[in-house]
Amino acid sequence: MNGILFDVGYGHFLVLSAVLFLIGVAGVLIRRNALIMLMSVELMLNAANITLLTFSRMWGDEAALSAHTFALIVIGVAAAEASVGLAIVVAVFRGRRNVDVDKLTTLRH
Amino acid sequence: MKLLTLFGAIGHHDTVDGHGMGMALLFWAFALAVVVGGIFVISRRNLIVAVMGMVGSFLGVAAIYMLLYAQFLAVLQMLVYAGAIMVLFVFVIMILNRPEDEPVAPTGHLGQVVGAIGILYLVGRLAMLLWSVELPNKAVALAAPKITALGYDWGSVKAVGTDLFNGGLFPFEAISILLLVAVVGAIAIARPLHEDATTDEGTKSL
Repeated sequence: MNGILFDVGYGHFLVLSAVLFLIGVAGVLIRRNALIMLMSVELMLNAANITLLTFSRMWGDEAALSAHTFALIVIGVAAAEASVGLAIVVAVFRGRRNVDVDKLTTLRH
Repeated sequence: MKLLTLFGAIGHHDTVDGHGMGMALLFWAFALAVVVGGIFVISRRNLIVAVMGMVGSFLGVAAIYMLLYAQFLAVLQMLVYAGAIMVLFVFVIMILNRPEDEPVAPTGHLGQVVGAIGILYLVGRLAMLLWSVELPNKAVALAAPKITALGYDWGSVKAVGTDLFNGGLFPFEAISILLLVAVVGAIAIARPLHEDATTDEGTKSL
C-alpha cells in the first residue's frame, strides 16, 4: 500500500489517464447538452495525450520525442474540432432555441 | 528550469533514478484536480461552473505533463486549453445565455431504462477490463522513473522543436491548413442565415 501511495511510477499516470477518459465517456453518454458533450470530448483527448506522454517518458530517449510532436498535433486538431463544434452549436441554437441533442430529430427519418 | 531543479531537489537527484516524496505529493494533488474538475464538467447543470471545472482539469493536466518532463507541452496546454478554448466555450455560453436549461431526465420511459442498463453495462465492462489487467511485471508499473537521455532538457522547446521540424514537418504544415479550414468553416456555419441582415440583424437573430 505504501508502495502505491508513495512510489509514483508510470502506472499511476496511465490509471489517471484511464479515469479521465472514463469521465469523458460518461459525460458524452449521460449528458444531453451539446456543449457539455463537447467538453467531455476535450477531456477524452487530454486523457489520450497523457497516455502518449507517459509512454514517451517511459522510453526517455530522443526518438521518443516524436510522441511530443504527436501530442502537439492532437492539441491542434482538438482546437479545430472545438471551433467547428461550437459553430455548429451556435447555428443549431439559432434555428431551434435549444441545444438539447434529444430534440434534434429532423434528420432521423 | 529553476522550478524543475527545485523539484529535483525535493524529489530525486539529477543523476540518480528514483522515487521522490515531492513527486508523489505533486502527482496526487494534481491528479485530484484533474479528476474533480472532470466530475464537475459532467455533473454540474450550470454551464459556467462546468467550464470552470474543465479549466481546473486542464490546469491539472498541464501539471501532469510537467511531471512527465513535457515542459513545452505543459505551457502549450495552458495557452491553448485554459486560454483559447476556455474563452471560446465561455463566449458560446454567453451567446446562448441559458445557463440551466437541461431538465432532469423524465422517468418511466422504457427506452431510458434500456439506455441506463446499456450505459451501466458498458461502464461495468470497462471497469472490469481495467480491474482484470494482469500486471505482468508489477515492478515496471511502479518502477522509478529513469532520468531521460537529455536530463531535464528532454521535453524542452529546443528538443521538441528539433523533432517537430525534422520528423514532423508534414503534419506540422498539414495542421496549419486544417486550422485555416476549420476557421473558415466555423465562420461559414455560424453566419446568420438571412442574407439581407445588414446592420445588427446578426445579433438580433441570436
